[in-house]
Amino acid sequence: MKQIIYSFLLLICCSVIHGQEILIQNVTVHTQSDKGTIENTSIYIVDGQIEAIGARLDVASDTKIIDATGLQVTPGLINPYTALGIIEIGAVRSTVDVETDDEMFSTSYNIAPAFNPASSLIPLNRTHGLTMAIVAPDSGHHVFAGQAALVHLRRSGDLLIDRSIAMFARFGARAGRFAGGSRAAAYAKMRHAFLDTKEYVENSDAVMRGNWRDLSLPKHDLEALVPVVEGTKPLVIDVHRASDIRTLLELKKEFNLNIIIVGGAEAWMVADELAAENVPVILDPMYNLPGNFDRLGARMDAASLLHRAGVKLIFTALTTSHNPFLVRQSAGNAVAHGLPSTEALMAMTINPAEIFGIDDRFGSIEEGKVADLVIWDGDPLELLTRAETVIINGELIPMVSRSSRLRERYRNLNDSTPYIYRK
Amino acid sequence: MNFDEILKIIFLSTLCFILAACATQEEKEEDKPVTTAEAFPSTYQAIASQPVIIRNATILTGTGEQLSGVSVLMVNGRIQSIDRQIANPGSAKIIDATGKWLTPGLIDVHSHLGVYPSPSHEANADGNELTNPNTAEVWAEHSVWTQDPQFTLALAGGVTTLQVLPGSANLFGGRGITLKNIPARTVQAMKFPGAPYSLKMACGENPKRVYGERNQAPGSRMANVAGYRSAWIEAKAYLKKFEEYEEELAKGEEPDEPERNLQLETLAEVLKGNILVHNHCYRGEEMAVMIDIAKEFNYKITAFHHAVEAYKIADILAENNVCAAMWSEWWGFKHEAFDMVEENVAMVDAAGACAIVHTDSPIGIQHMNQETAKIIAAANKSGFKVSPAHAIKWITLNAAQALGIEEQTGSLEVGKMADVVLWDGDPFSVYSRAEMVFIDGAQVFDLNDRSLQPATDFDLGILDPEGERL
Repeated sequence: MKQIIYSFLLLICCSVIHGQEILIQNVTVHTQSDKGTIENTSIYIVDGQIEAIGARLDVASDTKIIDATGLQVTPGLINPYTALGIIEIGAVRSTVDVETDDEMFSTSYNIAPAFNPASSLIPLNRTHGLTMAIVAPDSGHHVFAGQAALVHLRRSGDLLIDRSIAMFARFGARAGRFAGGSRAAAYAKMRHAFLDTKEYVENSDAVMRGNWRDLSLPKHDLEALVPVVEGTKPLVIDVHRASDIRTLLELKKEFNLNIIIVGGAEAWMVADELAAENVPVILDPMYNLPGNFDRLGARMDAASLLHRAGVKLIFTALTTSHNPFLVRQSAGNAVAHGLPSTEALMAMTINPAEIFGIDDRFGSIEEGKVADLVIWDGDPLELLTRAETVIINGELIPMVSRSSRLRERYRNLNDSTPYIYRK
Repeated sequence: MNFDEILKIIFLSTLCFILAACATQEEKEEDKPVTTAEAFPSTYQAIASQPVIIRNATILTGTGEQLSGVSVLMVNGRIQSIDRQIANPGSAKIIDATGKWLTPGLIDVHSHLGVYPSPSHEANADGNELTNPNTAEVWAEHSVWTQDPQFTLALAGGVTTLQVLPGSANLFGGRGITLKNIPARTVQAMKFPGAPYSLKMACGENPKRVYGERNQAPGSRMANVAGYRSAWIEAKAYLKKFEEYEEELAKGEEPDEPERNLQLETLAEVLKGNILVHNHCYRGEEMAVMIDIAKEFNYKITAFHHAVEAYKIADILAENNVCAAMWSEWWGFKHEAFDMVEENVAMVDAAGACAIVHTDSPIGIQHMNQETAKIIAAANKSGFKVSPAHAIKWITLNAAQALGIEEQTGSLEVGKMADVVLWDGDPFSVYSRAEMVFIDGAQVFDLNDRSLQPATDFDLGILDPEGERL
């Protein structure tokens, strides 16, 4: 009974939140749709959705009005390669669920059950305008890392809005280590997995009855690969060396896979081939180190080169586990090195939404879409700019994090209240 | 090369000759004390340069001022004049910097370039001597791979000086070294002339984890502290031995020279004030303990590095005149890095302590201006007033102070080394890039001139030899 009352209260509270109507006035809107950037307009939000965009809108009388004169709005930022909610403190093992060494799982390893919506990383990233993330597993022992979850960083409801949005894998030197010491073996392992999955699909009854030869993966792993070989689930592959990317393009053609490259330090060297095969790249434009022998060709203007060749880009921030909002700094640097700023914004909003198939609800500011918006106090790509207001699922996000609370506690060291009572 | 240096070389080579000659008469001369020559002296030489006048730039001096309508003249490696009217001495190259910004060369007080180079692999990861919690005897410079391509990438980010430190696995990690960011064939040729050595110390999780996992001390923070204090007790005794020896010599006696010990020699030099302590330390209470240890043994901590909780004890840092070197918003990789505050640097600065932005990252070092910009934005948004002219000190003059080279570099002032960056816009804009970099008055990087984009040996034949990776 207690539980029923509790659920009822929850319902009231959340319906109130979702019922909040918000009007953002006098603002410049980077729609990320074919309407481009609209100046001095308004956005009306009702029930968590964008109801209308226009200079003069009829709104309900109790609408919350936000005057955003001189400010700019973008869709909420999306980072498609994060560890949000699966890592709290890097060196505290009990708080890290990124990968498994258990050889029982490879493709069937799904990160979703590990996701912690109460992670302290989430409020901080929200206050910086990150509204959506893909939480990806890493490889512990296999070329396949497992399945990634799509997380909507809203404050209520289930944040996991797709528990298996993509399969993640690895190729190159590290995958070679997992496959007995050679990237050629990693290639063979991956190829056999696809061949065996096809065989499994065609003969699943016999396989399930045990009336079939041993396949290279256990049944649960084969089952998880079915949507990948059918091309309905993206296969995101962490790979850097140009020759490795070419090898993967062959594999894509052989099995008609839906491949996305992540990392891609040398992707610019094979940009034309990637464009021809319609393969997008998830890139951190700031990662320009020849950090290992797979990445010798890394360069700051890779985003610009890929874009000019016609490759669709998504940005991420590879050097941080805790601050995936820094994708914005990566985007700004891509612009400093030749990428048009409109493209840089798209690579954090509409591009990831389209590529992962959620652009019907997310990624742009259009009527009918989920109201995930960030109001910036200046150019959205500038580091001197901060998020002024963040709205996720139509709800105003409190601009508070552990970081801001610690700041307030220690703001005045001469405060006569002992610090432990300052909250 | 200046006259003093020439004299020094003549003197040293003569000394070598005499010593070599003496070797044959060793038996006769054995009673005479042998003077130890300076080990691994700097052979750095400024690149020859013509005078340069930079006109019409917006200038952040590094001393807290923002100037416009002023020109800067660099002659013989030094800043000769900063003035509204500067007459061309005749041969000067004139750069019209309208719309551009001029700052001192950036300084990173915490770097592992060369000792943890790219590409990174087991064969060249030389930054941590993981064999003993006290390795004060090792020197980071002996691990530096001068062909590390990360040096030239940092140069393109406007970094003219950097301190290369050993890692933080040990209580005493070894000596750090300050380098001019001009890759050379030898590390000696990169050593900042006259810069003091540093001693890397480390608090907290790293030493206790590394040795605790081996069932060896230190396995706890309390053993960390016991480890520092035991070492300083030994160092004091060692120093005393040498002081007594010197006294006896001065009295004309013929004492036996005490045996040298490289580990204790480094610690003794700290006690004498010749080597600066750079202490990796995250937590507030640990920093306060380290300050007390320094008082107990009468040495000075120059700077805490990675001081994620510096904001909690900013008044204590100010009172004890200890710098804090910090990140913008790195956090969470360890529990001691969990209490990150984005305004940390500004809060330490506001308390009157010496605040520094450091990177500890081969990517971060390429964007020190951006790391600073993020802090300016956070601080101003939450009510701290930070101007660009003030914030540039965090990556220039304050950093120079922590390295003991603030008389030579770190600000645009007459008489200082002409270590200068010309940015193609506001240095705190994400879109701005270092267009020209000068070290000792010589242009060592140009964004638009491939002949002035350096490439290390490693880059040749792997990438476009003209520096295409940039």
